[in-house]
Formats: sequence, C-alpha cells, structure tokens
Amino acid sequence: MQINPFQRQCNILDYALSSLWRRKLKNAGILVIFSLVIFLVASFQLLTRSLLGTADEILAFAPDITLQKLSAGRQVDMSEARLAHLAGIFGIAETMPRIWGYYFDETNGANYTVIGLAEEKIAAAGFPLTGQEETGFLKRGGVIMSPAVRDNMGLGERRAFSLFRPDLSQVSFRVAGVFSKETNLVSGDTILMCLEDARDLFALDDNAVTDIAIYVTNPLEIDNIARKIAEMMPDTRVLTRSQIRKTYQAVFGWRSGFGSICLLSALASFVILAWDKASGLSQEEKREIGILKFLGFETRDILALRFWESGLVSGLALVIGLTLAYIHVASGGALFQPILLGWSVLRPELFLTPALQFSDFLLLFSFSVLPYLAATIIPAWRSAIIRADTVI
Amino acid sequence: MIIQCKHLTKSYIADNKVFKAVDDVNLEIANGDFAVILGHSGSGKTTLLSLVGGLTRPDSGDVLILGKGNWSQGDKYLSTVRNKTIGFIFQFASLIPTLTAKENLLLPLYFGSDSRADREQAMVLLDEVGLADKANSFPAQLSGGQQRRIAIARAFMNNPDIILADEPTGDLDEETENDILQVFKTFNAKGMTFVVVTHNSNLAATQENARIMHMKNGKMTESA
Ligand SMILES: Nc1ncnc2c1ncn2[C@@H]1O[C@H](COP(=O)(O)OP(=O)(O)O)[C@@H](O)[C@H]1O
Ligand SMILES: [Mg+2]
Repeated sequence: MQINPFQRQCNILDYALSSLWRRKLKNAGILVIFSLVIFLVASFQLLTRSLLGTADEILAFAPDITLQKLSAGRQVDMSEARLAHLAGIFGIAETMPRIWGYYFDETNGANYTVIGLAEEKIAAAGFPLTGQEETGFLKRGGVIMSPAVRDNMGLGERRAFSLFRPDLSQVSFRVAGVFSKETNLVSGDTILMCLEDARDLFALDDNAVTDIAIYVTNPLEIDNIARKIAEMMPDTRVLTRSQIRKTYQAVFGWRSGFGSICLLSALASFVILAWDKASGLSQEEKREIGILKFLGFETRDILALRFWESGLVSGLALVIGLTLAYIHVASGGALFQPILLGWSVLRPELFLTPALQFSDFLLLFSFSVLPYLAATIIPAWRSAIIRADTVI
Repeated sequence: MIIQCKHLTKSYIADNKVFKAVDDVNLEIANGDFAVILGHSGSGKTTLLSLVGGLTRPDSGDVLILGKGNWSQGDKYLSTVRNKTIGFIFQFASLIPTLTAKENLLLPLYFGSDSRADREQAMVLLDEVGLADKANSFPAQLSGGQQRRIAIARAFMNNPDIILADEPTGDLDEETENDILQVFKTFNAKGMTFVVVTHNSNLAATQENARIMHMKNGKMTESA
C-alpha cells in the first residue's frame, strides 16, 4: 500500500491533532502562557511603533525651525518684536509667531493644547473643518477645536463655552469650527484661537509670544539659517525639525528599548522553560517514538509529527497573542501607556493605528515559534535517529 | 532465504568491559519457517531479534531480509521493511497508552488512516485474540495479558511476511497461550514466517514443524 505524500501529511497532522488533544491540559497551559507572553511583547512593539509613527506625523506639521527664548535655561515668552530681526535673514519664507500653551481643564481633568496664531495665518492654513460656521478669519472669541476636546467638554452642538484665566476670571469663547477627523492625529487635544485671545487667556503681556515658527524656502538651508539665527539671538533656542525628531525618538526609543529588554527576557525565559519541558523527553514520549519506529515510521514522519504538534501550539499562540495585542493597542494600549507616555493626559485617539511591521513580526516569530519548534524537534530528532530499540 | 544473518556481532559496554551480547551468529530462515529460539535470560535473544528486525545496528556482520541488507539502505527502506515486511511482538506490551486498543491496531497503517477495510481487519484480529469487546478500551483499562494480546494482534495488521516475537506468551495464562499459539499456527500455515524467542520449551513442542535453535552467551546452535 503506497500512500501519497499529501495523504501522509494529512494522516500525520490528524495524528498530531489527536495527540495534542490527548494531552490537552498540558498543551492548553503552554498555549495560554505562550499567548500571554507574545501578547505582552507584541503590545509593546506595536505601541512603540504607533507612537513613533505618531511622532513623525506630528513632526510633519512642525515648522522647519522653532525659535524659543531661554532664561535661566528655561523657556519663557518673548516679544513679537523679534520678528523684525528675522526679516533680515535671507531664505526665510515665512515667520509665524505662536502662543503654544497647555490649559488644564479642572472640571474634566484634561489637558488641552492651546495654540494661538495670527488671524490671517489661520485663514491661510485652511485647516480641514467639519460644521464650519464662520468662514474667513477666525475672529476674536472664536476657536477651532478637535472633536475630542468638544466631546470632552460635553459641548455637543452648543457653541458657547468659557475657559478661565490664571486668576480664575472667565473668558467666553465660541466654537467657530471643529477639525475634521483626518487631522485627529495632530490635533487630538488642540484648541486653536487667535493670538490676542490666547494672550488674554494665559494673561500674557501685549506682544508676547511663546515661540516663533519659521519656514524656510530651501530645505537644505535649514541648518544654515538656524545657525545664523542662533548667532544673531544668543538668548534663544533654535530647534530644527530633525532635532525634535531625534529627541522624540530618543525618548520613545529609550523607554521602549528598556521595556523591550524586560519583555524579551520574559519571552526568553518562557522559551527556556519550554525548552526544558520539551527537550527533556519524558520516558513515555521516548517509548512512543520507539513504538512508532518499530511500527515502520520513518524518522522524518516522527519529525513531521513533532513539527505539526509544536507548530500548531506555537503558531496558534502567536496568532492569539498578536490579535489580542492588536486589539489592545487599537483600544488605547492601556497596559503600557504609563511607561511610554507619562506626560500625556488627553490623547484619546492618538494611538488608534497599531502598525505591525514585518521586521517586528519576524522578531516575534524568531523569538517564539522558532525556538519552540527547535526545542521540541531537536530532541525528537535525536531520539528518533539514534534509538530504534528504545522500547525493548 | 527470507532472513539471512552473516557473522552477526553486537557488543555492549558494561563496567568498562566489552560484552558480546550476540557473537558471530549465522542464521538462515526460509520462507514459511517457524523458528523457535530458546535460551536463558541474558543469552542475547532479544538483541538478536532487534538486529534481525533492523532496530539495532550490528557492530559487524549483516542481516539480509529478502536478500537485501538492512543497513546498506536508508531510513526510508528500513522503515518500509519494519512497516510492511516485519511484524514485531515485544517482550513488553508496547502500546501507546493514550490510544484505544483499536487505534493502536490501526497505527501501522500510517498514523491510523482508517479506511473501512482497515477497521474491519482490526476487528477481525481483535476477535482472533479474543478481545473484540475491548476495541475501545485504553491500555490502562486492560490487564497485562490483554495488552499483550492487543500488541500481538497489531503485529499482524499489515499482513507482514515475517513475525518476530520476543517471549510473546510470557505473561499469559495457559489457555490464552494456547489460543495465541493457534493463531500463530494458522498464519504460519498460510506461509507467514515466524521467529519466536522463548525460554519456554513447551512452545517448541506444540509447533510440530518448528526449527529449534539455542542461544547461549551470544552464540547460536541449532538442534538437528
Ligand atoms: N542496551 C543495552 N546496554 C547494555 N547491555 C545490554 C543492553 N541490552 C542488552 N544488554 C545485555 O546484553 C545481554 C543480552 O541481553 P538480551 O538480548 O536482552 O538477552 P535475553 O533477551 O536473551 O534475555 C544481557 O547481558 C544484557 O544485560
Ligand atoms: Mg529478552
């Protein structure tokens, strides 16, 4: 009776399944722990990825150069008058004085990013909005906010709301527009208003701004121009977009690197455990291999059997772990946010895009499925190849 | 000749001394023979059987099954010989504990492929060893003797040319032993070759046409 290779694999697979089922308690245990470890590592990996992606998207909106004033090494506000000095530098396409501050909403326990820009700049930027009420300039008292902020404040269709100055006196505002969903990533917690309103809200001096955004005509000139500005105004900090990116990456990278090491070592210890369990073939398993051998199973059949068994367990664990991790990250990555993002309070929709890169998958695969397969197949191979007479 | 052993030698190392378990054995068994190998415990009978069946590799000498050397071919060939040409019955009941009696019988048919014909064949064999009613029992639910009989039935599953049996009736009561010997006799009459190892000379007496051989300290002699 010659059996075709496909039928043979099917029979082996069938046997592997029933063999897994026969030791269902042990295998279910391995599956649960394995899935859990993969879930943790993959969650972390996915979250880091999506944060880095988010940082990149934020940076895409960041100006070429950001100018801030330092006093005693800390950022302080500065006068709009500095714009006049910048006018003399060749190669600057546009300067944009900004007030960039954080407003803590005590009632809702949330932080909002308040951005004040000159009226004409807001109009020129042409942010994509939904339910736009006022066209043209953003007049005094009008703001554009992200849907998240609107929901957070519980505004619904209402337009009037108040914020508080530092001395707790009220400032009245009007919702002039809401950013459309596409811009959520960069404006998740943003309230955009005109410079004058922002000064009023934060009780800043007339003409005060927190920073100046500078756009350069030729991207290759960015570093050059940044150096010139720094020389011209020694009391300022001149940040280029690439410097900010490096900072972001260093922070995320360090934190996630640290976390990855912890988690990878958890994975490694699981693998060692699995190795220990699987490679110390029990007497019963050795007997079974011996029996299969004298009944005429080839070494490669026995290996295929082991391969199917451990492949099914670890593959299933990988799928379960990854799926759970994806769901976890997509729903906010609650487990890891504290480690990765101590500073963010309101960024509810910021981490909605778990990005699994092939290299991450490969890393997980080679740290989980591969060693598990090896841990179970190598001893089977050794015992299958050497001792056909183990049972007698 | 269905089985030929030529200068077969196998040593083990025990207490730093080389110990010849099988010592220069020459043996020829013709198709349809019923060979009985007698000998005391430790005389090398089991070792010889596993050499013949291609489970143990000899130190020197060769075993030819149907004219072909066991170890000169690859694993695939040897596996086919073990699967199709030879049925093994071991000293210890060698059942897989997590499979039922019937599943154990179906195992040689490639991991329990179960066509209708195969299942029927399994039931016929279980019936012959008197355990048709235990088809769905697990080994642990069976007595040692019953497990032994299941293992015997399994050896016939692929309709092998040769049965190699190592003390097959060792722990069976006399009545069951006679039943099993009757089964052997029937298959032998149909042309199946038997090599049966025992220390029970009774068995030799019941098989009229048996060739009787003796094993002593790894050496073999045949009674005329
Ligand atoms: N795997 C082994 N390692 C070392 N010695 C062995 C091994 N198998 C058998 N022997 C020794 O070889 C001799 C023959 O054993 P065996 O063939 O089992 O004899 P029998 O089946 O006639 O009782 C015995 O002395 C036994 O201790
Ligand atoms: Mg023996």
